[in-house]
Amino acid sequence: MDKRPKIAAIATIYHKYSHAQHIVDRFLEGYGWNSRHHYPPMDLVSLYVEQVRDNDLSKDRLERFPTMKGYPTIAEALTLGGEELAVDGVVLIGEHGEYPSNEKGQRLYPRYEHFMQMVEVFEKSGRGVPIFNDKHLSWNWGWAREMYDISQSMDFAFMAGSSLPVTWRTPSIDMPLGTSVSEAVCVAYGGVDSYDFHALETLQCMVERRKGGECGVQWLQAYRGDEFWNAHHEKLWSRELFESALCRSHTLTPSRPGFNNPFPTIDEMKEIVQDPIAYQYEHLDGLKSTMILMNGLVQDFNFAAYIGSDNEVLSTQMYLPMPPARTSLANFFSPLVNNIEKMFLTGEPTYPVERTLLTTGLVAVGVDSLHDGSTKQETPHLDITYQPAKESTFWRT
Amino acid sequence: MKRIAVITTIYRYLTHAQHFADRFLVGYPKEGKWHRPDMKVVSLYVDQKPEGEQSEDRAREFGFSVYPTIAEALRCGGDKIDVDAVLLIGEHGQYLTNEMRQVLYPRYEFFKECVKVFEEDGHAVPIFNDKHLSYSFEKAKEMVDDGHRLGFGLLAGSSLPVTWRLPDVELPLESDLEEALMVGVGGSDPMDYHALEAMQCMVERRKGGETGVTAVQLIDGDEVWDAGENGRWSLELLEAALSRSDTPCGLTDEDGRTQNLIGTGELQRLVDNPSAYFIEYKNGLKATLLMLNGAVRDYCFAGKLKDEPTPISTQFFLTPVPNVTYSACLVSKIEELFESGVAPYPAERTLLVSGTLESCLTSRHQGNVRLETPHLNVEYQAPAEPQHAHQ
Repeated sequence: MDKRPKIAAIATIYHKYSHAQHIVDRFLEGYGWNSRHHYPPMDLVSLYVEQVRDNDLSKDRLERFPTMKGYPTIAEALTLGGEELAVDGVVLIGEHGEYPSNEKGQRLYPRYEHFMQMVEVFEKSGRGVPIFNDKHLSWNWGWAREMYDISQSMDFAFMAGSSLPVTWRTPSIDMPLGTSVSEAVCVAYGGVDSYDFHALETLQCMVERRKGGECGVQWLQAYRGDEFWNAHHEKLWSRELFESALCRSHTLTPSRPGFNNPFPTIDEMKEIVQDPIAYQYEHLDGLKSTMILMNGLVQDFNFAAYIGSDNEVLSTQMYLPMPPARTSLANFFSPLVNNIEKMFLTGEPTYPVERTLLTTGLVAVGVDSLHDGSTKQETPHLDITYQPAKESTFWRT
Repeated sequence: MKRIAVITTIYRYLTHAQHFADRFLVGYPKEGKWHRPDMKVVSLYVDQKPEGEQSEDRAREFGFSVYPTIAEALRCGGDKIDVDAVLLIGEHGQYLTNEMRQVLYPRYEFFKECVKVFEEDGHAVPIFNDKHLSYSFEKAKEMVDDGHRLGFGLLAGSSLPVTWRLPDVELPLESDLEEALMVGVGGSDPMDYHALEAMQCMVERRKGGETGVTAVQLIDGDEVWDAGENGRWSLELLEAALSRSDTPCGLTDEDGRTQNLIGTGELQRLVDNPSAYFIEYKNGLKATLLMLNGAVRDYCFAGKLKDEPTPISTQFFLTPVPNVTYSACLVSKIEELFESGVAPYPAERTLLVSGTLESCLTSRHQGNVRLETPHLNVEYQAPAEPQHAHQ
């Protein structure tokens, strides 16, 4: 591309520490990258914000960056007020803001609705441009699948997901490409239909690199409360991997007063963790993955897996410099924005959107299983096959 | 099983003694496993016992004795040294400060008590000394010389050199390093010490190894910015170091935005009283520590390598309180010393940094003059293998 790409940002809300603030600010203000304050070589020219509340920052940003214009509709943001598509890429940030939840506790963020409005402009203009969709595609599996299918049939670059796959790791390691993986565990924190997605992306960005690549998931079962502890007791997931993941945490809640970093016993964990949750699922090649939320015990995302013919343990933490307690900048958005930039420059996603299609489906099924009393859910619709990016895409420079 | 004596100023929740000694008692995370050292704390000496201190509780729970003197702790109440290693933690507790605002922790005094026992009993064991060896270079030098004279392993220093790095970089040995810069925050002295040692663990890997420091100068206030404009320290390296920070203050605190602190001029607005510690090495290397309280809250390094267009830079990752897992990284090095009797990296690093800090503070005390430091002719070779957490 000879000239600087023009980018549109479509957001639900723009306030301090909202995803729109983290992502759009990096396009406007630049960010620390590879020993420089890096300014993306593209112009964020239009902004649509659905909800403007007292804590809004979009007005301030529009004033300070006059090259960016605010538009009242998504279509106008994409056409810059004209008739036809007039931007070279779109970031869709449907996270945060006041939206209702359904009876299963899923927040009904309008990502699908926003996406479809873009597609309408694409169709009218007879062409599409790359889209980055923040977090999972939609709370609704059918809609998520439709979004993916449209991107395929209209042939525009489509990337999505969490910053967990691209942030720092301690240690700074990746799953060796093409290795066999017999079991994987992620021990994380946060809520259902929010951080479960991040933990699933943490797992998926690692296991997709296994021998044969990703072949899809055949069933999922969720556990919560006493059922979680029973499953833990019965070793439905590896105790060794669970403990290895905990040993990568930097935020293990001290289980005894006066000690800053003891390793908790199971009884102590039961005291500390009020509502443990697990989603266990089996891939079509037999790999078993378990996503565990241990609220109260950890505040980070830790991964462990058995790999290779000797079932060696590989473990790491996907580190989020999370404000406001630990940092002032949520710098895990820097590698995410950097990957988005690369897609806008080359027209090619740096990692496959099928990863996020699969994790989107897993969140929805996990929520269903919890809602249906922890029943086992068959998932023939999650027969999603893809190959990982050959080169690692996490932050390591 | 190795027998350990803990010699400390104070043992209270979140003091260095509690962080380090507890890990020998309850284990610590290491390379994705909960590691329990094959060692036993058998004796403890603690200098100050204010309310809330934990030495007696720990002794009861873990089955060791608290002794009233260092000699008795090393001899476990007997008449001959009866431990295999000493964990010496002279950090925290109420101690006087001198006119250069150095806290007069009794590390030298404690160390000399140990040495006296070693000499009387004709048997010396490895010592880990937490943080700098002493506020005084002369005393620090004597400590290192004692180690060589009696032939015991001596390890010392901060956790910063061994903690995780973001990104995980190490300067290749024999690097052609042209200039280095470190950004630090916090009070003097303890935090400038940590920052200086973090910088030293990087620059010691340059071509020819460490050959010592020939002069230092510490300046404060607006002159720091003038010195940057005049090229006395590198703006490019400051940009590189700040590119690694997760904690810019000011507008970032206000509304979460990223900031080009140098480009916007915010840096000068945020830092009321910057300090620059200039260090001139014998081989010509220039290194600068900028203490930038008010601008950021983390510790970042940048270095310029010959023929490399982009500086190398990293953040020394101080993992969150209360786990402070960076202290687990250091305990694993201490365990290595205790197990093998050989320090995984030379105490001369800490000796040089102890002396450099003392001379910088003397420079400030004497009106920010440049001081020649012929006594800092400390020579050593960096360890070949990276020592920071990376596995």
